[in-house]
Amino acid sequence: MALRFEVLGRFNRARAAQLTLPHFACQTPLFMPVGTQGTIKGLTTDQLEEIGCQIILGNTYHLALRPTSELIDELGGLHKFMNWPRALLTDSGGFQMVSLLHLADITEKGVTFQSPVDGKPMLLTPEESIQIQNRIGADIIMALDDVVRTTITGPRIEEAMYRTLRWVDRCIAAHKRPHEQNLFGIVQGGLDPVLRDICVRGLVDRNLPGYAIGGLAGGEDKDSFWRVVAQCTAALPEDKPRYVMGVGYPLDIVVCSALGADMYDCVYPTRTARFGTALVPEGVLKLKHNAMVNDTRPIDPTCACMVCKNYTRAYIHCLVTKDAMGSQLLSYHNLYYMLQLSRNLHSSIVEGRFVCDFLQKMFPKGDVPEWVCNAMDVAGIDISSCCSS
Amino acid sequence: MALRFEVLGRFNRARAAQLTLPHFACQTPLFMPVGTQGTIKGLTTDQLEEIGCQIILGNTYHLALRPTSELIDELGGLHKFMNWPRALLTDSGGFQMVSCITNLYVAGIFYTQWHFAYIFQVSLLHLADITEKGVTFQNRIGADIIMALDDVVRTTITGPRIEEAMYRTLRWVDRCIAAHKRPHEQNLFGIVQGGLDPVLRDICVRGLVDRNLPGYAIGGLAGGEDKDSFWRVVAQCTAALPEDKPRYVMGVGYPLDIVVCSALGADMYDCVYPTRTARFGTALVPEGVLKLKHNAMVNDTRPIDPTCACMVCKNYTRAYIHCLVTKDAMGSQLLSYHNLYYMLQFPKGDVPEWVCNAMDVAGIDISSCCSS
Repeated sequence: MALRFEVLGRFNRARAAQLTLPHFACQTPLFMPVGTQGTIKGLTTDQLEEIGCQIILGNTYHLALRPTSELIDELGGLHKFMNWPRALLTDSGGFQMVSLLHLADITEKGVTFQSPVDGKPMLLTPEESIQIQNRIGADIIMALDDVVRTTITGPRIEEAMYRTLRWVDRCIAAHKRPHEQNLFGIVQGGLDPVLRDICVRGLVDRNLPGYAIGGLAGGEDKDSFWRVVAQCTAALPEDKPRYVMGVGYPLDIVVCSALGADMYDCVYPTRTARFGTALVPEGVLKLKHNAMVNDTRPIDPTCACMVCKNYTRAYIHCLVTKDAMGSQLLSYHNLYYMLQLSRNLHSSIVEGRFVCDFLQKMFPKGDVPEWVCNAMDVAGIDISSCCSS
Repeated sequence: MALRFEVLGRFNRARAAQLTLPHFACQTPLFMPVGTQGTIKGLTTDQLEEIGCQIILGNTYHLALRPTSELIDELGGLHKFMNWPRALLTDSGGFQMVSCITNLYVAGIFYTQWHFAYIFQVSLLHLADITEKGVTFQNRIGADIIMALDDVVRTTITGPRIEEAMYRTLRWVDRCIAAHKRPHEQNLFGIVQGGLDPVLRDICVRGLVDRNLPGYAIGGLAGGEDKDSFWRVVAQCTAALPEDKPRYVMGVGYPLDIVVCSALGADMYDCVYPTRTARFGTALVPEGVLKLKHNAMVNDTRPIDPTCACMVCKNYTRAYIHCLVTKDAMGSQLLSYHNLYYMLQFPKGDVPEWVCNAMDVAGIDISSCCSS
């Protein structure tokens, strides 16, 4: 174990905590920008510190291909290589392999695939994934899991869940740096509460430093989504961090935090920036829209970020889709927005208030989606003042 | 006139001066990054201030197309639009028109709708008031320095076209002066043309000096002529242009060229080179260039330039940038940042002969640098 997790405040199931990692002491709930290949598109590490980024996620698959984990190790680890003084998390590589490589195949040994570099058959085993992540040196590393999309049904889900448990033992055995890197296990089991329960209990038995809820954010309906999160957060230990992988939209983060989750990652803020979309309290703002052409307001008048303090919608409209600077400025703003959301969640939980502000701005007419209302019921948070029905 | 030019120090023909413009008091010699369409690829205005940028050049042609000079005017001018508190210079639009249209014809008939807009716009301009339009656009954009539309021909061309272009440039400058609606806020610079012909250059310089403009540019160079011809034209023009007004060599350039031109008495420069070469993975260093794509960089833990104090050299290794270049836009961004910092810091062997010749004329003894 190489972390400390201390709950500082609660609001029913929601908790605000300090997560102390080898490289940085973080405040949760927190959002982790995805730095894919050791960089977050368009932002320097100075700017990332400026906007309050605490942890960055690196994709093991991409890093292993370029510049390779051996080189990163040789050069002193990923922190040093990308000059990021705060925390890093790497995933196992499994998800990309399955989603990016149409010829990937999963067996008990591991994930077999065709190397994108030279077409040769390759195998990513749990042992290999951990070895690569040991070389990269992130504060948190993820066990290789057998992940299936929640839109799939049938025995494959059960097979994947049990295999995930068997693989986590192999990951634990292969992990060479347990006092510097925290190995998180990932709860699988699709949308089946029975399978999810078995997986949670199996992982908790292994007494890992932290736990992730995997296999979601893949197309399942929102109602099923929040129920799985609710079940897992209820069953996972109180005193360890809970990470919902691949989430996501600001609304989803607010709901999951209400249900007791602490950590999130998603490409959404930066990806949507590249399509000219900014995140704002009301939802989204499409900078490409003609109405922006002479709009001299900042993206969000309530936002204190460098972009909102310096640039108008008209200027950014002029750039988007025509100059990379547009995406860059929107990425900066969107990440600031997500990180500010995290800070607001943390402080509002510590101070004993929560959620309503956010919902009121996003749904000024009170048309809060039903799934959110149901989830807040379970979370024990009264949002009747925000709902019209 | 809307500027003040005060020489603070000299070394023979070279001068260090303060150029006070409406938006900023600049120190010369200075390099102007090219911000084409109101942005310098990859750098925020904060970062530009950080690295000491004083003036940015905007291309009128591109701005007139997107987002249009009328919109910029409506929104309070280019300074406000791009949030740049320091100085701006716009060119006349002429150079791009010539080089872009030529490219279109050469490229053939596969045009996008965007290109049709260009052609349509240019055909409108060609109707009658091309020079006046150029100034009108620039009045709307609001830069501290605006350029007269000149008839520019490449120095690799010979024959009567050069003389024609030189005289036309003089006639056009009068039309520009007449069309200029904001002479107390924006400084109209004239551009010396005349190819590589000293007689033509001389006529043009004297013609422009007669018009008593706030500043002068030496145009038509940096287009493929040999270096020896290049410096001689600069030397002639700087010798003949007034002492007490800024001299701008357009399209220059390589650090070495800037040093030589400064030795010969020029004050201002612009070029896409530092940012463009960054996009090809090349960094500017005191020894020349460093190609980050090169395999030797793969595990080189040194910064691009150990003597450089910029954010990139203080934070990133060659190995890291090598990993990014040509694969992630971040590579170009970091190299652009470093290269512009390098150019703005002012670079105050195998020295080429043309440099030795130029330094002779400039009266600067570089014998300690030359092996012969």
